[in-house]
Amino acid sequence: MSGFTQALTRGMWREIPPFRLVLGLCPTLAVTKSADNGLGMGAAVIFVLVLSNFFISLLRKLIPAKVRIACFIVVAATLVVAVELLMQAFAYPLYQTLGIFVPLIVVNCIILGRAEAFAAKNGPLLSIADGLGMGVGFTCSLTVLGALREAFGAGTVFGARVMPEAYQPVAFMVEAPGAFVCLGLLLAAMNALGRDAGQPPAGCRACGACYEAAARREGGA
Amino acid sequence: MIPLKLTASCPPHVLSGRTVRGLMIETLLALCPAAAMAVWHYGLPALRVMALCAGAAVCAEWAVERLSGRPVRVDDGSALLLGLLTAFLLPATAPWWLALAAAFIAVLLGRELFGGLGGNPLCPPLLGWAICMLSWRGLMKPEFAVLHTELVSPLSELKYQGLAVADRFPALDLLLGQQLSGLGAAQAGALLLGGLWLVLRGRLRPHIPFGFLAGTALMALVLQLLRPGVSAGPLFHLLAGGTVFAAFFLATDPASSPVTRRGMAAYGLFAGAMSVVIRTFGVWIDGAFFAVLLAGLATPMFDRLRPRVFPAPGRG
Repeated sequence: MSGFTQALTRGMWREIPPFRLVLGLCPTLAVTKSADNGLGMGAAVIFVLVLSNFFISLLRKLIPAKVRIACFIVVAATLVVAVELLMQAFAYPLYQTLGIFVPLIVVNCIILGRAEAFAAKNGPLLSIADGLGMGVGFTCSLTVLGALREAFGAGTVFGARVMPEAYQPVAFMVEAPGAFVCLGLLLAAMNALGRDAGQPPAGCRACGACYEAAARREGGA
Repeated sequence: MIPLKLTASCPPHVLSGRTVRGLMIETLLALCPAAAMAVWHYGLPALRVMALCAGAAVCAEWAVERLSGRPVRVDDGSALLLGLLTAFLLPATAPWWLALAAAFIAVLLGRELFGGLGGNPLCPPLLGWAICMLSWRGLMKPEFAVLHTELVSPLSELKYQGLAVADRFPALDLLLGQQLSGLGAAQAGALLLGGLWLVLRGRLRPHIPFGFLAGTALMALVLQLLRPGVSAGPLFHLLAGGTVFAAFFLATDPASSPVTRRGMAAYGLFAGAMSVVIRTFGVWIDGAFFAVLLAGLATPMFDRLRPRVFPAPGRG
């Protein structure tokens, strides 16, 4: 079962989106004004990701290679419509806050990326594990980012006050540019952590030349 | 065989006696008249904000250089200059923590994060100012300090009361800095004096500051002709608010401005024109600072405006 555990845990730390796997940045930047929003968005993504991975892995022998992207999108779009209707029925305030970003889950790179990179090549059980791991990782990232921005930008986390009364909220953090700055700082921190563990920087996985060169130089010195 | 270690610094290898330190000291000297005028207009609180910002900037720079293992070059005066420029953008009534926050953001986020002196993609004092402005708008706007002073801001008068009120400001008063604004940002005459001295000393290339002033004047003239009786004239826009400060001291930030002559002129013209556009149509009262930030983002494009290579490529 080591393959299963590996598939499950890969997305939770080693390739945690969006800090290591730099995908799905649009919702990451747009909806993390508060920890609540991050968690809600993450939950919706978990639902879509697990089921889309499951269905695509079931259909992987039937989907012709030439039109596979369109097929993946159709599967994801169906699930997103389901999520949208469920949210309207049971979590309407959240649906109103997230707005356009719920339908936009269809084009979230993580959904398509995992379908292409994992579900189209592996069995249903492994694909569910992969989707669950990635989804949980994404949710954690979004919640942490949302909590950070909410704590500094509004002085609260999940609506509960965490900063002293005299604290003057840095409203910049809950505005759009604050999202970029905050995400950049977190990416830098993750890269610093990964550098100590010997991993290439996020987003450089395909090439990693600079990282290898640095490693060679350090090794040779 | 032991590899031979050769250390070569970046070209050009000319010993001119010019140092970063000398440049910073001369720029600081050029800012002195404006600082004196600020203290004259706003009293000791002005001195307090300047001291806080400059001290915080120097301390932050020193701490970052120590912690990151870079050579400590805090004595070159660049951090002191950065702190003072940041202080010039703040109102005299800024609380102590706001002054510290602006200076820390300017040094850490504006400069050190990108590798220190020379690595910043945007003008660091403006970055500190912009983030503080978005965060604590009430405390950052000089117009809210109206209880502590008799000065009024000509730009907000223009925005909210119309041209008839704004036209009552005599140009000489504006030149003497008789206007409510950030500490030193509106000391038009004193800053002009310092800026011209820097240009004459050859420390500043004239393209950016004069391009900026020309862009401001031209755009103001165009808008005045298009909307007579509504838009203010070129002289008002040149002297009111932070135009002179932005033209001589912020837009000319060496790391975030273009290096080619054409690029510098275009950058100055663009920033100057944008500052009038933002003042006229935007929600912010003084557009000069946002215009410099915007132009800074376009610097790589302005740098493409360079003389044609000779012989032209492809013709052999």
